Amino acid sequence: MTGNALGREIPDRIGSRKAIPFGGAFAKTPTGTKAPRPQKAAAQHEDKVLPTIEAAIEACGLSNGMTISFHHSFREGDRVINLVLDACARMGLKDLRICPTALFGVHEPIVGHIESGVVSRIEGSMNGPVGAFISKGGKLSEPAVLRSHGGRWRAIEAGAMEIDVAFIAAPQADPYGNATGIRGKTPCGPISFQAVDAQYARKTVVVTNDLAPYPVFPMEIQQGWTDYVVVVDEIGDPASIASGTLQLTNSPTNLLIARLTVEAVKASGYFKDGFSFQGGAGGMSLAATKFLGDEMEKAKIVGSFGMGGGTKMLVDMLRRGQIRAILDGQAFDLDAIASLREDPAHLMMDPGLYANYDSRGCSTYKLDAAFLGATEVDLDFNVNVNTHSDGQLLHGIGGHQDVAAGAAMTMITLPALRGRIPPIVERVTTVTTPGEVIDVIVTERGIAVNPRRGDLLERFRAAGLPVRELADIKRDADRYIQPVRRPVFGDEVIAAIEWRDGTVIDVVRKVEEWQ
Amino acid sequence: MEARVGSDAKADCLVVARQAERASVAVATKNRNLLENGIRAVAEGVLAALGRPGVAVEVQDQGALDYVLAARIETAVRTVLPEAKLTRSERVERAASDPDRPRRSRLYAPGNNPRLLVGIDIHGADCVLLDLEDSVPPGDKAAARTLVRRLLAAVPFPDEVWVRINPLDAGGREDVAEVLEGRPHGVCLPKAESGEGVRELSKELGKIERRLGFDVGSTHIMPIIETARGVLRCEDVAEADERVVVVAFGAEDYTRDVGARRTNEALLFARSRVVAAAKAAGVQASDTVYADLANDAGLAEECARARDLGFDGKGAINPRQIPILHHAFSPTEEELAKARAIVEAAREAESRGLGAVAVDGRMVDQPVLERARRLIKYAEKLAKGGAA
Repeated sequence: MTGNALGREIPDRIGSRKAIPFGGAFAKTPTGTKAPRPQKAAAQHEDKVLPTIEAAIEACGLSNGMTISFHHSFREGDRVINLVLDACARMGLKDLRICPTALFGVHEPIVGHIESGVVSRIEGSMNGPVGAFISKGGKLSEPAVLRSHGGRWRAIEAGAMEIDVAFIAAPQADPYGNATGIRGKTPCGPISFQAVDAQYARKTVVVTNDLAPYPVFPMEIQQGWTDYVVVVDEIGDPASIASGTLQLTNSPTNLLIARLTVEAVKASGYFKDGFSFQGGAGGMSLAATKFLGDEMEKAKIVGSFGMGGGTKMLVDMLRRGQIRAILDGQAFDLDAIASLREDPAHLMMDPGLYANYDSRGCSTYKLDAAFLGATEVDLDFNVNVNTHSDGQLLHGIGGHQDVAAGAAMTMITLPALRGRIPPIVERVTTVTTPGEVIDVIVTERGIAVNPRRGDLLERFRAAGLPVRELADIKRDADRYIQPVRRPVFGDEVIAAIEWRDGTVIDVVRKVEEWQ
Repeated sequence: MEARVGSDAKADCLVVARQAERASVAVATKNRNLLENGIRAVAEGVLAALGRPGVAVEVQDQGALDYVLAARIETAVRTVLPEAKLTRSERVERAASDPDRPRRSRLYAPGNNPRLLVGIDIHGADCVLLDLEDSVPPGDKAAARTLVRRLLAAVPFPDEVWVRINPLDAGGREDVAEVLEGRPHGVCLPKAESGEGVRELSKELGKIERRLGFDVGSTHIMPIIETARGVLRCEDVAEADERVVVVAFGAEDYTRDVGARRTNEALLFARSRVVAAAKAAGVQASDTVYADLANDAGLAEECARARDLGFDGKGAINPRQIPILHHAFSPTEEELAKARAIVEAAREAESRGLGAVAVDGRMVDQPVLERARRLIKYAEKLAKGGAA
């Protein structure tokens, strides 16, 4: 057991591998080279199309104990993960390791596959019902490993996570294995989260419901990476993939936070021509993005780029000429998907381009400001997005670490008072993102600035913003609620939270009792 | 007998109380491990203050804050056992407010809706107005009263906080008897139609202030003129009592009362009368609310019109309207600069023993000078903020 740089106790080994304790957001210097992939030459007139998932599983030689991977771009509408795992179960496969970019409520059947031994390990993301199941005592053969989008990409590229078969759900593909997420019958936005899987997995299978004549483009997944193409009736439910138009929040508290966030951006010194920012799809982020657009228009500022999750809000800013480009890892609504097809300034980007620690450049490092959420923050500005205050592991990391580490000014927006469970705590239940990369916390009861950022503090004060100590904001909110109980954790580790460089920033342990 | 108080809406709780041998508490919450103990502590505290009467209390929580839980439990127990008397442990400390403080916005919040009440203090409204009247259905009046009293005791409002009561003979007396314990800065009297009505409320407030040990006269009154009769008699209303510091106009009820459509033309007479009556009495005037929440431009236009007529502020039905109101009813930089120039010129004229003062070639008379002085003082108060 070692305390890492944040004082979190990290076991020397997690499951079958040695754990390297987190040493600081930018402390690690990578060594070595990228992982190899078995060579293969395509035959001149090779037919890659297989009739069923089962046929693909057989052709790939998938066997017990191997690793398979998936992406999450279909979100709650995804059919493919369940389809593949059901096929594995029917074929009697056991002890598989799954490696999804994220899981959703729709993937609850995985719980059954864990109970029956089809799935025994999870790396990548473990959230929603599967997280709840494991938190409540469901057993995997090794602790789960959670990684950020960039961290997952890095792990695959570095050979830290070897994938046997990548199953890539594709809204459109051609028989030669080129595939995209922005065309077809059920477009979902970019699928290039799995471009790294496609290049490093021993076998790559594209699963589509829309087989189109060669060439399908853009070639997010390329023919040179793809072994097989499977055509199925349905890969996703369009109603649950991307919404028509996302709704702005109408909560007065959240709107106030969004307004304060934008006021802080205006006062930060970053708000000038060439300004760049990242906005998410949550109601509060959307509102902040909208207000930001209004202010940029008033101030006649042209931004360099907005980073997605793409939304109509960003697309409108691009069309009005308020930003020169959108860099998009995923698309949250149909407007964003249409814009990706039509507008060359709306760029698709994979996590290798925007988030990879072991790389010669990251788009997030070019961000001026980012708005991110949290389930908890603590007085050291550490952020938790993975567990709830009761210790349950319910959310993945997403791009939180990558964006927070990259942006010049990372802002956490969260209400200081959220029902009876305090979001500002002495010490977060789990550290997802370290306080050293969090600059500002915006609440409805004031704005807290990380003491490391005296420059921002001065600017905010000069602008008359309600700057306060985080502890004072916490005290203000806590007066309305009796203290909550705290979980007492045992020794058993159920998941490791990796920092984006592959070190372990925290572990999630099983709750033993309550104090 | 069984009482059900509250709801299953977010930020609220449903409390069911039944007569029983002994006092008991049962708690249902989505997050039992984290929350049960805290909720139980609040419930036990309320029962103890009520003398642990024979009531079984069941709390179904939806994320209610302590003061909401306590209010719901108190109302439920007192519904089952009307004779249960509450021991008050704390005295609310809240300084009386400056009668002529800025009141650019008066933000309404429905008095029995915890979701909209939580955080009502954080939006920077010059006056928050907790409503017991139109937004509260008749069956919920008692619950709303207790919730508002507990909220007033729990929340240290940075600016002014008011309670809109029901008409005195329709629950208003019970309203003030209870909510004054929470020490609001003032009480809004709806459908004010006579000086007598205002004086009656003032007398009632005086009695309660004495009982609670507050300075008699420290609670302000804001009569709301919202009937044809009220409009015709508004000078009596405005002049009726020292406690009146602002007169508000309510267009929704007024248009209904006279059968008008809600156009600027139809309201001009009433608005002008309210402003004139208020100013003649030396108090502020506050315009009606603007109901079209989505129309910021329309709100800004109506604010400008009200400001032109002489109103000092306006009602808001949603916090998002506040920045627009504050912008409209704050002095502009030019106005302030001009006022400063006038005051400066007057000072210079006085020091040189001159009778007449001119600024930019125009004569400045006494009312103009007074107005300029007031504007500067007002701007200083705005800059300082706070209710005192």
